[in-house]
Amino acid sequence: MSDYSVVGKKLPRVDAVEKVTGAAQYGADVHPAGMLYGKIVRSKHAHAKILSIDTSEAEKLPGVRAIITQDDVPSGRRVFATDKVLYLGEPLAAVAATDADVAEEAAELIKIEYEVLPVVQDVMESIKPSAPRLHGDETKDGPHRRNISAEIKELSSDQEEDNSDEIRKLQAELEKYSDEVYYNISAETHNEAGDVEKGFAECDIVVEDTYVIPRVHQTYMEPHVSVASADSSGKITVWASTQGPFAIRSGIAGTLGIPLTQINVIGTTMGGGFGGRFGVIITHVPAVLLSQKSGRPVRVQMTREEEFLDGRPAPGCVIKLKTGATKDGHILARQALAFWDSGSVSGASIGSTIRVRGVYKIPNIKIDAYGVHTNKSGTAAYRAPGAPQAIFAGESQLDDIAAQIGMDPVKFRLMNMREEGDSVPAGGSEPKVGYKETLEAVADAAGWWDREADDNQGWGVAVGDWTNGCGPGGVYVSVHEDGSARIFHGSMDITGTDTAITQIIAEILTVPYENVTIRRGDTDSAPYSTGSGGSVVTFTMGNTAKLAAEDARRRILELAAERLNTNEDNLELKDGAVHIVTADPPKSILLGELAAYSLSTTGGPIVGKGSFARQPSTPALAAQIAKVEVDPDTGRTRVLKLVASQDVGFAINPMAVEGQIEGGTVQGYAWAMMEEMQYGDNGNVNPGFVDYRVPTSADLPTVESVIVEVPAPNGPYGAKGVGEPPITPTLATMANAVKDAVGIRVTELPIKPEKVVDALKNNGHGA
Amino acid sequence: MKSFEFFEPTTLAEASNLFAKEHAQLLAGGTDLVIGMKAYTETPASVVSLEKIPGLTGITVDNDNSITIGAMTKVREVELSNDIRQHHTALAEGASEIGSIQIRNLATIGGNIAHASPAADTVAGLLVADAQVNIASANGERSVPINELFTGPGQTVLKPGEIITQFRLPNPASGSHYIKHKIREVMDLAFIGVASAVDVQNGVIEEARIGLAAVAPTPIRATEAEDLLKGKRPTPELLQQAGEAAAAATSPISDLRCSAEHRKEMVDVLTRRTLQNALDRA
Repeated sequence: MSDYSVVGKKLPRVDAVEKVTGAAQYGADVHPAGMLYGKIVRSKHAHAKILSIDTSEAEKLPGVRAIITQDDVPSGRRVFATDKVLYLGEPLAAVAATDADVAEEAAELIKIEYEVLPVVQDVMESIKPSAPRLHGDETKDGPHRRNISAEIKELSSDQEEDNSDEIRKLQAELEKYSDEVYYNISAETHNEAGDVEKGFAECDIVVEDTYVIPRVHQTYMEPHVSVASADSSGKITVWASTQGPFAIRSGIAGTLGIPLTQINVIGTTMGGGFGGRFGVIITHVPAVLLSQKSGRPVRVQMTREEEFLDGRPAPGCVIKLKTGATKDGHILARQALAFWDSGSVSGASIGSTIRVRGVYKIPNIKIDAYGVHTNKSGTAAYRAPGAPQAIFAGESQLDDIAAQIGMDPVKFRLMNMREEGDSVPAGGSEPKVGYKETLEAVADAAGWWDREADDNQGWGVAVGDWTNGCGPGGVYVSVHEDGSARIFHGSMDITGTDTAITQIIAEILTVPYENVTIRRGDTDSAPYSTGSGGSVVTFTMGNTAKLAAEDARRRILELAAERLNTNEDNLELKDGAVHIVTADPPKSILLGELAAYSLSTTGGPIVGKGSFARQPSTPALAAQIAKVEVDPDTGRTRVLKLVASQDVGFAINPMAVEGQIEGGTVQGYAWAMMEEMQYGDNGNVNPGFVDYRVPTSADLPTVESVIVEVPAPNGPYGAKGVGEPPITPTLATMANAVKDAVGIRVTELPIKPEKVVDALKNNGHGA
Repeated sequence: MKSFEFFEPTTLAEASNLFAKEHAQLLAGGTDLVIGMKAYTETPASVVSLEKIPGLTGITVDNDNSITIGAMTKVREVELSNDIRQHHTALAEGASEIGSIQIRNLATIGGNIAHASPAADTVAGLLVADAQVNIASANGERSVPINELFTGPGQTVLKPGEIITQFRLPNPASGSHYIKHKIREVMDLAFIGVASAVDVQNGVIEEARIGLAAVAPTPIRATEAEDLLKGKRPTPELLQQAGEAAAAATSPISDLRCSAEHRKEMVDVLTRRTLQNALDRA
């Protein structure tokens, strides 16, 4: 469809050979001479006072070279727990030894005395006055109390009139909401547009439900790993498995009070990230501290069990959602009250609760969201952080409303979707986005309009929206005497982003794709680059790469004009050579010749520089349809068909884009059907792949991807970030399909067989 | 992994003597042991490999159609053996449910049984095959029926130094079937496992055996349900009664995988299903 010769093509990834042959260097492949093995000593309780930490026995063990606790953190920033642990697996100390077994043994020899405290794992329990307080006694008001309290505050501050009667009345009013005093709140966010009370009053149909979404782990293939080496001058080198080497550099500098450029972070090939690979203190800081203390390089590598205990997974949450619509299908109001399980620290993506509004024209909306402390590790980003949870609630409830009205779920959504120019609740107006095109495309591709279903089979649809991030980046490109081009930058390849950058530069320089190579530098050598998360890389680095290539092209044309004795206006860069457009017979000069010529000019070699920081992004939509079959006797659900469309703006590499759509959709399927971090009174009880199930290729058919291209004004060639959106609708897609198949509305994920069997029994449909 | 002594004896007597020592572990396929050692949940002082002892592998069929499976036979071989598939379908189906193909190419049927997990995938099939377990030690040989082998989770009647050498499967039933209740299609542990085997003569069930895994501290036979079936013509009502009787015979636990109630219910459902399929195959 395009006139491009390299972008928009399904080209093999630039790193395909090194990945397939095993040549790629992952964190655990790094082994500097004299390297020690680090091991983190972890809490054996989910909530306890630390009475003492005794390292004396461990120090005597032959082969132990360093033991560190919080006392060894000169900046005082919390790396290890000292007075109290808040979750099972919380770090208390770390050891470095000459081999992994000695490190393991030393870790066991460190004696820790605990005074065990009561544990709270459920957010709805944690907000109650009966719950143990994890971080002091402060309380927060719920939505009603907040409004009343605000009114009281306003009236009290009135200097002119005496409002004491009214204030007393309002204070009495507060008593009505005694259960809205929340404990253990880590953060809160509130949004309001229109008037929900009024909106609901005008509705014919109002549906209310509580949705429970479990905490899930990113389950990247490569566990966290870090190799740190502090030399005698104080220079620190860290080989880090991370999505953002520059963020790790500043994170280590900030945590340990080390000058920024005294730290060099070398990003190693990443075995998956999904947002969970930005943590600084998980392994990097302990590795640096152990290396500083021992004077030797140290590797700290997590086991899979440690990943589950002390990774930073996606938060679970409880969302109470209410939606109202008129009987002719217009959604008028939506209200959400959400409690996000942020674990021992704040940081859950509570702001994403606003995603319950979806891409619909909902005039009245009110969101109250709270982060709640529990005895679990903290959380981090996971592919469109917070969106799958909120969209699960929103899109499940939409189906129930469509069913009550008697409208087709696709038509109901199409009717309510925002259009270009509509006002957006956050302000401004809706840009051109392929909301309807994307939903229509998936409906057409899946055969929605003439769908058939045997007994216990059903179809489900849902959509999810997301907007890619943006950040600073820099790219250099050089053209060599053999006509090849080399790219140099500092961004971690994620999901094939190096390939997209390479395609863009090959396109502009008209160099054959295979003659463009890309090198990633470390933080000492490469220009700054934003972290590879938030679907930013192709958007940011793609734009940066374009600028670099255009800069190189300017120099190329300048050189060619000089060399060919003509005006630049007469020149065209095409097929790896510069041509004089008007020459007859044709006259041209190869890029390699120009590169050779450049070396003896005043202006110098061909080096293009691109530097970019920010441009507004455009929302993207993912729409999915599943056909399932539920065995009503065993409760097992089998996916018969799963079709996923996405407005990607422009697919720089359609093969990579399809990979992203498939991968995200499968992760969404997994969250819907099987993934769940389970917690007991002493923390996580399924810290491994035996009882934390991720799907295999046997669990579902190939996801059919449908690419929709409605260009983003500021994206390179119109591209949008594609990595995150495909996970957002799948949770609801699956729940809606199960509902259609056997008539049960599962509001609490995952949709395990037992839940289905029990729900069928409760509805009287059971076997 | 902790350091340990490694032995590769070439005779059963030698292996038995080494295995009888304190903190000794047998190495068959290693798919349980090595993982445990890496996770420091198994810390044997010595590991005794059975690899070099001749005569412990292979599947042989005798004249009377009885089958002998060497304890060191790979699970993948059990799964793919035409003889097992034909005569002990439930066992082949159970074998096919273990781990991944890579795991099945390493794991042995002897290891799967000696590990004594109540959820072992080959155990229900061996129960309904009425298998005899041949055991050897430096003191001689003995044989116990499979349903008398287990005493609790991870516990068997095996004494120090005793090694499982063979499974003897007598004249087979004419139809059998195994279903594993699980979440994931492959590479999952059994929430429960149910195998049924039947012999049918002139439309009457002559023999019925039902083996249940992961519903009690040990794998069990549902004998009351079996007795209900014998001598009767199969009807949906009869199968339902058998399902209920099988469920009544269980004493499952609730754990993070599912509740005891769900396990009981699934025994009922899957007993009916496996019986029906076994009847269809008979």
